[in-house]
Amino acid sequence: MFDKSIIGRSFPPFSIEVERGKIRELALAIGDENPVYSSKAEAQAAGYDDVPIYPTTPTTFTFSGNRKMVGQLVSAGINVMRILLGEEEYEYLAPIHPGDTLTGVFTIVDGKTRQGSSGASMDIITTEVQYTNQHGASVLKARQVIVVRE
Amino acid sequence: MTSNAQTPIKLYYEDVQVGDEIPKLVKAPVTHLQLVRYAGASGDFNPLHTDPKIGELIGTGGIIAHGMLIMGFIGQLLSDYVGPTALRKFGVRFKGMTHLEDVITCTGTITGKYETDGIAYIAGKTQAADQNGDVKASGTFVAALPHRE
Repeated sequence: MFDKSIIGRSFPPFSIEVERGKIRELALAIGDENPVYSSKAEAQAAGYDDVPIYPTTPTTFTFSGNRKMVGQLVSAGINVMRILLGEEEYEYLAPIHPGDTLTGVFTIVDGKTRQGSSGASMDIITTEVQYTNQHGASVLKARQVIVVRE
Repeated sequence: MTSNAQTPIKLYYEDVQVGDEIPKLVKAPVTHLQLVRYAGASGDFNPLHTDPKIGELIGTGGIIAHGMLIMGFIGQLLSDYVGPTALRKFGVRFKGMTHLEDVITCTGTITGKYETDGIAYIAGKTQAADQNGDVKASGTFVAALPHRE
């Protein structure tokens, strides 16, 4: 049963450096061979200042940058062994470049318990990470809906 | 949000109409090696996606792909269509599990065009489905596009 008192809880900020090699690695794992993601030289040959982030690069900011996330979810009473990812959404607020250092603040923004058709209940929890860069500019908002099966 | 004049232009606002279909993207079959590689690239090492024994234990019928890999496929569809730096909003809802050897096809449709504060945007919906037409993820996006002179 979802504990509504954790709505609004934020955790201490984490930081992550945006790395060119990680952008390339993600594009290649997805099977996207667009050369703009492969190196600064290739990106510049295509007319970009530097390697752009991949549309789903923000997932790496969370998994690689916020190493305490699992512990934070556990501390909020969430059974991390029963989590499914329901939704993922990014708002790209300003350009993000390799070499930027981002600071992320992870917040539990909403949650509720829902009865499934089979009678089992599940918790549906919305989380958000707000990222600012080294200049203090808001660059990205990442929203996730996770489903915790009972 | 300012548009970035230094970035190459992939698509103009005037070239897109509501109802247009985004050129579809058919991915190669999902392999175990790809999921191992994706785990390393993303930092998501949940054994559900890499260890066949876990898949059998929890009844998912073997290894299942990372949902975020499927979102990545849709990301490729959009990166190819609007260019790597035009996206302003991109979200998906996960609908089903993807198994090894599934062939994922990503499609999309333009649903809206509008201007706000002097910036032109297109909005659309996307989908990723397997070889049987089972939908794995569906989503929406917004991209900022330049005007043709």
